[in-house]
Amino acid sequence: MTITRVKNYINGEWVDSTSTTIGDVWCPATGEKIASVAYSTKEDVDAAVKAAKEAFWEWRSTPPLSRARYLFRLKDAFEENFEDIARTLTREQGKAIDEARGEVRRMIENVEHATGVTTLMTGYTLEDIAKGIDCYGHRQPLGVFAAIVPYNFPAMVAWWFLPYAIVTGNTFIVKPSEQVPMTQTKIFEIVDEIGLPEGVVNMVHGSRDVVNALLDHPDIEGISFVGSTPTARYIYQRCGETGKRVQSLGGAKNIVAIMPDAKLDEAMPSLITSFFGCSGQRCLSGSVLVPVGDIADELLEKFTAAAKAMKVGDGLDEQTAMGPVVSAAHRDRVLGYIEKGIAEGAELILDGRNFTVPELPNGFFVGPTIFDRVTPNMTIAREEIFGPVVSTVRAGSLDDVIDLINTRGFANAACIYTQNGGVVREFKYRVKPSMVGVNIGIAAPMSFFPFGGAGNSMFGDIKGHGQEIFQFFTDTKVVIERWF
Amino acid sequence: MPLINFGSILSFAEQIETQDRDFYTAAAANDACADYHDLFGQFAKDAAKNIKNIQRTRRENVTEMILEQIRGFTRDSFIVSSEGADRMDAAQALETARSLEERALRYYTEAAEKLKALSEVARTLKLVAKKHRAHLEKLREL
Repeated sequence: MTITRVKNYINGEWVDSTSTTIGDVWCPATGEKIASVAYSTKEDVDAAVKAAKEAFWEWRSTPPLSRARYLFRLKDAFEENFEDIARTLTREQGKAIDEARGEVRRMIENVEHATGVTTLMTGYTLEDIAKGIDCYGHRQPLGVFAAIVPYNFPAMVAWWFLPYAIVTGNTFIVKPSEQVPMTQTKIFEIVDEIGLPEGVVNMVHGSRDVVNALLDHPDIEGISFVGSTPTARYIYQRCGETGKRVQSLGGAKNIVAIMPDAKLDEAMPSLITSFFGCSGQRCLSGSVLVPVGDIADELLEKFTAAAKAMKVGDGLDEQTAMGPVVSAAHRDRVLGYIEKGIAEGAELILDGRNFTVPELPNGFFVGPTIFDRVTPNMTIAREEIFGPVVSTVRAGSLDDVIDLINTRGFANAACIYTQNGGVVREFKYRVKPSMVGVNIGIAAPMSFFPFGGAGNSMFGDIKGHGQEIFQFFTDTKVVIERWF
Repeated sequence: MPLINFGSILSFAEQIETQDRDFYTAAAANDACADYHDLFGQFAKDAAKNIKNIQRTRRENVTEMILEQIRGFTRDSFIVSSEGADRMDAAQALETARSLEERALRYYTEAAEKLKALSEVARTLKLVAKKHRAHLEKLREL
């Protein structure tokens, strides 16, 4: 089989990197090498920034509605190629095909939302701020922005930022994860068809060197990042040092509370999706399951039965509920956490170690795993595992749940299942995480609401998409005007 | 084989329509069915339109919220053979067409019920069911 090497997209052209460092891209379901990627260099980044910078002035003076029309074209092109994108995504990332389709849908929703630029980018004015003096606040684009995006959502995350950046008149560079470069390459092949001016969007593949070159480049105005908390913190600090705008979204340890009055049968499908969807590799996944009071035994009995019933296998099979994790290294990392849970005294009630799919013996599979009797200080209750591993911490009261949530450090999402409105009010009022689900297991804001956490889950102040993203990509220029 | 989720239900719907389209296309081209050429040709066009409608519905309604498992729905009772449309006589073709339309009507009715929480999807499935009901009525009048 011929192994394709993905290329960079710079100034409207597909170009090879100058790098000699090459990484492999794997199919997580089969364990086969399916592509390779050059780890681009500072020189490659310089070329992308130069192209983006040169494209900026003409693009920023293109009327917003004309810029939006490119997005309308893009939306249509994405719809036409929807299934191709989803299948490429599943092949290199592993998630179930419906999950991939859901991700592509969310990607397109951001394109759709960004087309509202003519309303969402408007500034504001006030006459007579003093006698005969008027004041205007214009939103203006800033220049070149870049996004550094993770492996778990290879299609969507770059598009939490890109459509808003370009529709407001900026130019853009995407650095996909080196583990999953094919999906964004497929997407850029579609972008290439719609006739955007050269240099408005660019893509540079690679790893740490590309990240550092983007962070240090004086002509980049701002960075959008999604990934782990240590890297998010690093990027936030580096952007602070170099004076860039930054929105840096990190990891999570999301708690899902089950109150004694929760409707378990109705809740079960969404609980399973929360903890095991995308094999637990998403920052909104449930990670710590917290039954409150005497519901614990019944909950765990039903939850474990539902987890056992899931079909784990190749994501391209429509029947598959859960695919593999992204890589052999990540599988080993997740298995390491399971071993740590056992060593620290948690009770393993569903064991996903040594999980095999007979027809896919080399796939990177971890079976659904559930721990009971986890205590708040155990490693598996504190650290982000990013795999299909559930840590059950039994709690006595709502206060215990809220304390647990507010002492994790991470503050991305929190969910509660109950029929009691007063309990819900208390919960959503007091918990620190920024994304809250009520009888919802994945509290995922859609494109017209902001996405991002608090605490160690996000550094920066303007989150992904939503209306606020228009602020991130624009400067409000205030004009104070008087005529004699 | 179970139909356990949104994707598998709509993908099976796509298979049903593809089978229908292929059957009616072949039957319309079969000289033995010349009396029904226009009817089968129209049904083939309808199936092609249904495929697009189903694909669009799948694209536009799949989100993370709806990856939850469906229970108690399998494809086994909806398998109907339509092999050999190019060699059938008119009576055989009409009988097969009735089987296909009955199967589709039954499938879309049940699928709409299974996915009733997703109103836009259920609406599409009911619409496709309605088209198959109309086909069936036409076939029964012959």
